[in-house]
Amino acid sequence: MLSSSEFQVIALSLQVAALGTLIGLPVALGIGWLLAKSSIRGKAVLDTLVSFPLVLPPVVTGFFLLWLMGREGPIGGILHDLFGVDVVFTWVAAALAAGLVSLPLMVRAIEVAMSGVDPRLETAARSLGAGPARTFFTVTVPLASRGIVAAAFLAFARGLGEFGATMVVAGNIPGETQTIPLLIFNRIQLGDDSSAIRLIVASLVLALVSLSVHQRLARRIAT
Amino acid sequence: MNDNFLDIRIHKTYPGFMLEVDASFPAGVTAIFGPSGSGKTTILNSIAGLITPDGGDIYLHNKPLYSSSEKVNLRPEQRHVGYMFQESLLFPHYRVRENILYGFKLTPPERRKIEPDQLVGLLELGPLLERRPANLSTGERQRVALARALATSPELLLMDEPLSSLDVALRGRILRYLKDIHRELAIPMIYVSHSISEVLAIAGRALVISQGRQLAFDEPRKVLLEPYVHSLVETGGLENLLDAEIVEHSSGNSLTGARIGDILLWIPGVPPHIGTGDTISMAIRAGDIIVAVDRPERISARNILKGRVQGIHRVESNVLLYADVGMSLLVEITPEALDALGLCEGQEVYLVIKSNSIVVLD
Repeated sequence: MLSSSEFQVIALSLQVAALGTLIGLPVALGIGWLLAKSSIRGKAVLDTLVSFPLVLPPVVTGFFLLWLMGREGPIGGILHDLFGVDVVFTWVAAALAAGLVSLPLMVRAIEVAMSGVDPRLETAARSLGAGPARTFFTVTVPLASRGIVAAAFLAFARGLGEFGATMVVAGNIPGETQTIPLLIFNRIQLGDDSSAIRLIVASLVLALVSLSVHQRLARRIAT
Repeated sequence: MNDNFLDIRIHKTYPGFMLEVDASFPAGVTAIFGPSGSGKTTILNSIAGLITPDGGDIYLHNKPLYSSSEKVNLRPEQRHVGYMFQESLLFPHYRVRENILYGFKLTPPERRKIEPDQLVGLLELGPLLERRPANLSTGERQRVALARALATSPELLLMDEPLSSLDVALRGRILRYLKDIHRELAIPMIYVSHSISEVLAIAGRALVISQGRQLAFDEPRKVLLEPYVHSLVETGGLENLLDAEIVEHSSGNSLTGARIGDILLWIPGVPPHIGTGDTISMAIRAGDIIVAVDRPERISARNILKGRVQGIHRVESNVLLYADVGMSLLVEITPEALDALGLCEGQEVYLVIKSNSIVVLD
């Protein structure tokens, strides 16, 4: 059976993946809408940029986050100077890494879901007096909601498995930033195979659950 | 001030297509008539602000909705123009009630002139309010869509072939609703259609367009009977769409008496739920009406109406004749019949209509 410290790692992993998904969701909604519904110029550029975390080595994504959120970085600097908050090497940094790495998956799935919303319904809302924002929240999002939730579960599943970027931006601090993949890595290095296998099984189960929720939601959209 | 509430002067070019319109619309119901692909919907979309013309201007009550010279282009939600689409486009995730209230809630209280309750009454939507659009029939959906558009108290209602998805019986019914709405709420309407029968039944004025060009703009009777109009659309099955009040209705009789103005028509028996005093819609095909110069005696047909020929139009291989018998009726006869009878405008004639050729639309 799993030890209590292993349980804590699993709980932390869930927490990290959940926060990562929550942070990524509004960003993915915005980018998904731009890609699916708007007629902005430079869509191809945006499309490519969003796919970067999918193809870059996660370590590179992590390095980028480290620079962005570090004490000297554009965002990390502001947080440090104004609020005295340091994000790097905390579980929040691990969540950011999970969110960024899973963002391409979430954007893609949301883009597909929003493309499925009949644009004439949005036109109808406009003709009834709704502005673009109200149309987005009362028509586009509700009608794409199933796909959006499915996208979130997919991102959550990806976030649970995040390793490379997390290692760079959050480290591998037991009880603080050590998630399941990092602990598995440690246990393998120490030659503790039985512990590694227990955690691998736990990963499999978590992945299976979140993916099957995603599948179920995604399939219902298709029918 | 002029009597026209809407002035449109726009042009818009698409690859292989150019639309040019210059028209002033009087209050009332105006039909935009033309074959598919003629630019009818483009005009509506320009008025609603869903597309931007290449240039020109659109004034509603002397306020610009769009003007290339004044650099005005209001967004759709700022135009106070109601739009009823070809398909109902109800929000599938809202109940009927929420659909109707969607635009109403977005209308500032001081602009609200039409109450949702009033619309629910006029369009008989009470039993449908808690239903989802997926559980409505096509005709019910169109009624809800009409209520939803009107609940915003629009200054103008645009309708893009609202009846094209309905069967004949429902068409008559919705047309009657539209007439009721127009009479009760006095909202100007622009009604896009490619059905001559519909336009004759509802519109006070018709704009005829073809391939983006404006061909005529006048009373429907004057423009729609021109031969060139008939070459634009399929004209098979021209009908007179009429509303009548049931005045004599007894279970013993196979016929029912229906009154239109001062005229009494004998029509086939109506379903039992319709009683004396009810209004019904009915259709009489123009080709089913017989013209006689002398009053026919000892004839089986139950309806013989005396009137005068108002207009004669030769259309392709047929003749369309307008006769005033207290109301205007469109009659379709052959050129041979026209010659044999020697009909001319102003001549006194009798129209003979078999009761069984009258189709009750409810």
